[in-house]
Amino acid sequence: MTVNNNNNNNSSNADSSNNNKLFSLKKWNAVAMWSWDVVSDTCAICRVILMDACLRCQADNKQDDCVAVWGECNHSFHNCCMSLWVQQNNRCPLCQQEWIVQRIGK
Amino acid sequence: MTKITPQFEDYWPSMQQAISKLLHQLDVSKLEWQELFWNVHNVLQWDEKAKDKLQDALHRDVLEFISEAQSTVLSHHDDQSLLKAYVAAWSKFFVQCNYLPLPFAPLMTNPNKSSNTKNTINEENIVRKLMYSSWNENIFSNIKHRLQDSAMKLVHAERNGEAFDTQLVIGVRESFVNLGSNANDKSIYIENFEKAYIESTESFYHSKAAEYLLSYGVQSYMVWADSKLKEESTRGAKYLEPFSLPALNDTCVRVLVTNNKDLILSECLGMIQGNNTNKLNLMFKLLDRIEEGVEPMLNYLEEHIVNQGLADIMASAEIITQDSEKYVEKLLNLFTKYSTLVKEAFNDDPRFLTARDKAFKQVVNDTSVFKLELASRPKMNNGQATKLPPESRCPEMLANFCDMLLRKTPLSRRLTSEEIEIKLKEVLLVLKYVVNKDVFMRYHKAHLTRRLILDSSADNEKEENMVEWLREVGVPADFVNKLARMFQDIKVSEDLNQQFKNSQNGTSEIINIKILNVGAWARGSERVQVSLPLELEDFIPEVEEFYKKKHSGRKLQWYHHMSNGTICFSNQYGRYDLDVTTFQMAVLFTWNERPTDKISFENIRLASELPDAELRRTLWSLVAFPKVKTQIILCDVPLKSMKDFTDTTLFWVNQDFHLIKNGKPQRRGKLNLIGRLQLSTEKSVEEDNEKIVQLRILRTQEAIVKIMKMRKRITNAQLQTELVEILKNMFLPSKKMIKEQIEWLIEQKYMRRDDDNIGVFIYMA
Ligand SMILES: [Zn+2]
Ligand SMILES: [Zn+2]
Ligand SMILES: [Zn+2]
Repeated sequence: MTVNNNNNNNSSNADSSNNNKLFSLKKWNAVAMWSWDVVSDTCAICRVILMDACLRCQADNKQDDCVAVWGECNHSFHNCCMSLWVQQNNRCPLCQQEWIVQRIGK
Repeated sequence: MTKITPQFEDYWPSMQQAISKLLHQLDVSKLEWQELFWNVHNVLQWDEKAKDKLQDALHRDVLEFISEAQSTVLSHHDDQSLLKAYVAAWSKFFVQCNYLPLPFAPLMTNPNKSSNTKNTINEENIVRKLMYSSWNENIFSNIKHRLQDSAMKLVHAERNGEAFDTQLVIGVRESFVNLGSNANDKSIYIENFEKAYIESTESFYHSKAAEYLLSYGVQSYMVWADSKLKEESTRGAKYLEPFSLPALNDTCVRVLVTNNKDLILSECLGMIQGNNTNKLNLMFKLLDRIEEGVEPMLNYLEEHIVNQGLADIMASAEIITQDSEKYVEKLLNLFTKYSTLVKEAFNDDPRFLTARDKAFKQVVNDTSVFKLELASRPKMNNGQATKLPPESRCPEMLANFCDMLLRKTPLSRRLTSEEIEIKLKEVLLVLKYVVNKDVFMRYHKAHLTRRLILDSSADNEKEENMVEWLREVGVPADFVNKLARMFQDIKVSEDLNQQFKNSQNGTSEIINIKILNVGAWARGSERVQVSLPLELEDFIPEVEEFYKKKHSGRKLQWYHHMSNGTICFSNQYGRYDLDVTTFQMAVLFTWNERPTDKISFENIRLASELPDAELRRTLWSLVAFPKVKTQIILCDVPLKSMKDFTDTTLFWVNQDFHLIKNGKPQRRGKLNLIGRLQLSTEKSVEEDNEKIVQLRILRTQEAIVKIMKMRKRITNAQLQTELVEILKNMFLPSKKMIKEQIEWLIEQKYMRRDDDNIGVFIYMA
């Protein structure tokens, strides 16, 4: 169920439709927080919390571009950190399985 | 072979005539003067023995002249006329000592040497030397003590206000200076004239100072002493050689200032108390002439500011512990008063500025009026609870005042933008003296969070300026960057909200979403479950669906303790808009199904699903809201404390609720019930304090490791000093905490004690 029916899309109409109720809703400001859907909070490569940008991006002030990456093994890191890592070693630093990207956060 | 060559004897008579004229300061024509040069030249040219002969003859004539002068001078028996006669004769002679040697320059020319020895002529002019030593032997050495005494008597008389021909003293000094064994030797002057002059100065002021103090008191004495120091320095410049002045000054300062230092200082505190800037300035000038002279003044100032500051705060403790504006105002009055004093009385001398700063620091961080207890539960390292000594609540008060200025409040509405800016800068000035800035940061961040979530900032530009100002006063970058990130994030969220509204119809009119990056806002903060009104519950999956389409790899968590809204309440009197937290909304909506029922605490808890503590807080805000005459909810227990609610306490909607404006009941109106309810939970306040402690422990550990890494080997004292320096913009680590963290780091083998000296630590890689 929704608060208003679709015909009443200004608030004075919304008021009148709820006239019979003791308390009626006029406005709601909902707050949610997002975080990467990861098992471990910290990037095992740079040791910074995944919700913060990696050190490189912090220094370059590119906080918003620094996303998380998940491997098939379900381990996750900063995408920046992992891109550098795989140039040296194509295995997950945590479980040593071959690194295959499952998804990249956005 | 005999040759007729010019002989000394041929020339001497005419030379002698010219010499005599010169000695007696009679007119010598240009021709005579030139002839003298020519004759000296000639006679030295042709007569091998002429050099000696000439010198002997000259000596004889000089002696003859001097003995004439001697009889004139010495015929005076009383000291004053002796001095006058002597100086008159000397003055003439002194002038001639500069002229007479000129024609005899060739006497000094050493034929073996080239002509560039001319430089030394002045210094070793044998004619002048001959003149001086004859004068010294025949006149001066016999009467120099009498002359000196007479001169000193004149100086003494001058000090007592009598005028005389200053040349009388100067002449005696010149005699002492010039009649030394050679031009560079000033020892006769130093040992006689200078010594006598300084001694008589000292004895004069020794008795005068005591007399003056006795008759006029310390404050007038300071004025007098200052003027006498100036007067004596001018007099010294007149009567002494320049190199004697420092010694004279030392003596004057000793006899006029040092000897009476304690008496002068005894007035200091009273003058500070009386804000006597002129007199303090004088005292400062006098005492600053002595080494370490102002140290006691610094102590008086520091002590006074601390006492005054604490007394002020103590006197109005009740008001200012409640009212952050008043508190900041009190501190600023104190700062302004004493900064002005330091400026006017001590010319902003760095030593006094430091004393002022030390005192301000003590006042601001004092814990006798406000205490903030910080403790961490036993979860850090060695399993022991860390309890910190109590701290001043000043940083919390400062953050509260900032909030009043930056939020839409009666205060911020009353002030102009410039006035707000000035006040914010004043807060930052006080913050400079706060030892534990981390506490300020914690409160400031909480307030900012609240303002951004509730859209209650008075001025967004000022909000962002404040972040930069915090950076400027040295708040650590990682903290400031976090605040900046919150602003960025709220903008991202506003765009998202717009996109969401565009994608929807219907509900989007009344619903706004803020989806924020948890890293920037409230990492790890506790969430509270609440049963939302049905219409809102349905809306949650819609947002989640929308968000999933925009982003991937993200999970959402609803922060209902931060969300809020506006509801409309209708009864027989009218319709009122109420701004409420989501918790208040959940509680109030319980009555929608049964508007006139009395509902028990327990049943409201079951309906709202709020935890006990949060429900108490929420209900309390509805039954005892301070700003209204009639409460929206009534209950059947006396309103003393929210602790009095039991499971059976009954609550019901006040059907007579209405708003009153200018004494008249209003049919319409708006009421903000969120008030001072923090958008945080009971538990999270505790957690925040705990986080401060934990962060301090962590920062202390990091800093110790950093220092050890750099120094490899360091004494305990040095380590403590460097540690305090590194952490100074965040907090002042307590001795106890430092000790605990060192022990822990030793246990963890980051460092060890030196085997030979337990006061020295060694880094272990
Ligand atoms: Zn990383
Ligand atoms: Zn990055
Ligand atoms: Zn893995």
